[in-house]
Amino acid sequence: MQLLFNSVVAGSIYALVAIGFSLIFQTNRFMHFAHGSAVVFSAYIAFHFFSLSNSLLIAIIATLILSSILGYLMHLLIYYPLQKKKSSSVILLIASFGILFLIDNGLLLYFGSGIKNINYFGPLRGMEFFGALITKPQLIIVLSSLLCLIFIYLLMTKTKLGRNLRAVADNNDLANIMGIESKKYMALSFIIGSVLASVAGVLIALEQTLSINMGTTYMIKGFTGAIIGGVNSVPASILGSYIVGLAENFGVWFLPSQFKEAISFILLFLFLLYKPNGLFGIDKSSRK
Amino acid sequence: MGTIQKNNIIETLKDSQKAFWLILFVIDIIFIFLCLQGILNEYFAHVLVVINIYLILSISLNLVMGFTGLLNLSHIALFGVGAYTSALMIMNGYSYLLSLLLAMLLPGVFAVLLMFATRKLKSDYLMLVTFGFSFLLYSIFISWTSLTRGPLGLNNIPKISFFDFTIYSTNQFLVFSTIMAIVSIIIIYNITKSSFGRLLQAVRDDEISLKLLGKNIELIKFKAMFISGLFAGLAGSLFAHYSQYIEPNSFWIVDLIFLLTVLIVGGLASNRGAVFGVIIIMILNESLRLLPIPSEILGPTRQIIYALILILILLYRPKGIFGRIDLK
Repeated sequence: MQLLFNSVVAGSIYALVAIGFSLIFQTNRFMHFAHGSAVVFSAYIAFHFFSLSNSLLIAIIATLILSSILGYLMHLLIYYPLQKKKSSSVILLIASFGILFLIDNGLLLYFGSGIKNINYFGPLRGMEFFGALITKPQLIIVLSSLLCLIFIYLLMTKTKLGRNLRAVADNNDLANIMGIESKKYMALSFIIGSVLASVAGVLIALEQTLSINMGTTYMIKGFTGAIIGGVNSVPASILGSYIVGLAENFGVWFLPSQFKEAISFILLFLFLLYKPNGLFGIDKSSRK
Repeated sequence: MGTIQKNNIIETLKDSQKAFWLILFVIDIIFIFLCLQGILNEYFAHVLVVINIYLILSISLNLVMGFTGLLNLSHIALFGVGAYTSALMIMNGYSYLLSLLLAMLLPGVFAVLLMFATRKLKSDYLMLVTFGFSFLLYSIFISWTSLTRGPLGLNNIPKISFFDFTIYSTNQFLVFSTIMAIVSIIIIYNITKSSFGRLLQAVRDDEISLKLLGKNIELIKFKAMFISGLFAGLAGSLFAHYSQYIEPNSFWIVDLIFLLTVLIVGGLASNRGAVFGVIIIMILNESLRLLPIPSEILGPTRQIIYALILILILLYRPKGIFGRIDLK
């Protein structure tokens, strides 16, 4: 039960990362690897504003704003010029590695390599819940990511914006012909993705101590989730992320515990090789 | 008229290529001479050794990534396999030559296995799988503590010694690594100029026609990966015995981005590019040391500069300095 709950907590954060990644992948057709650095960036910004103002609300608002600006800037300054030159998805992927590296080291320069901790809740007491110990931040993580998921679901299915986004994702050229300005929606997907990443960042900042290397780790986890579920569909990547969380926590039964980190890499590797469209994904490769 | 002009251009190009290698060789000899005479201090020798190691890495990665068009992000991990193999073999009492042999073969075999698994994948998917493979090897380096001592790394790796001859000083190592680098460059240069080299480029440019000609594409890819793996292992072995200390983080994303930057700045599918890229980035790297910045922010500053160069090159000159192909 405890393992199950831990899996859900981990899976919730991975899901937030995975949705943003998958959304950006669908509308822009390339792998935005720097998404992980958006997560670390938000976690550090949240930490920074919290230690400045000592108010969680201010920290959250500042993080959401700054992180969406960061997402938009990445699109505006680097990805969009590359896309305009009809660069291949490989160039965009390498560029995103560059951005990941740039942001991570920028943060390292500004914040130093010391370990940061918000410590908002003070010493934590676990609550008993169906035989599992749950701490308050963990509960917040699960609830708020659920809220985000519902919000994204409503946004994508019930609003005009979501419909247009899905149209761009489905067929960019056709969407353009129908008068949907795809450039706008590509930028928008970056903003939405970054907002989700910033939620993940704040949640991570609440529960764990921060370190710069987190970005790559969370990116790999979220990416694994998206690939396992199917990177072409948002609900599938959410499911995939929970699977990663489960596999990680239950894999410890079969493997020595120091291999916990390796489990998701092995999963990623196997899925990329044998089932690149994921368990529930739709094969869209023919449209590429 | 037109043909004569064309010939002239080709001649000058050939000449410039020869001149490039010649100038490089002469400069290299001069520097080594100055180091051996003690005019330049040990620090210069150290930088030259590091350049030599990266030269082997970049030129062998270029064989796969530039010439064959396989976007392989696992080269640094293979380099790590070579380093660990060589170090562990020697520490367990095997002779250097045997360790070097295995340290070259093992990454070669790994590269072929990776290629076997990924033979159907292309472009960004191939890139991500090879990146995933690096991640896998990295987590093995970190997690298999009984063998690799995990994050602590291996220290006190013995110096190189063979035939009653031990390499003690940095200067001796400089000569040794220069010979190794020159030999590697000559071998890979000749491979790329041979008919096999042309086959590799054909794999990159037009797989289907090559299949129609009855060539076994997978076999060609395996060979290319195997050769590149061999040299990655050689570089790894040199690195392990030179620095005498290796840890998993030496074989991870920092060096990966460095190598990627080097290749893309130099230009893919060009041996000159691969060599020139290493030299220019290393000069930049070391000249940063002259700036008055404290050492704890030197590392991140450097990496920010690599990342910026990488992004700017992709934006404004995706072919690099000497590159002949676009990334597909």
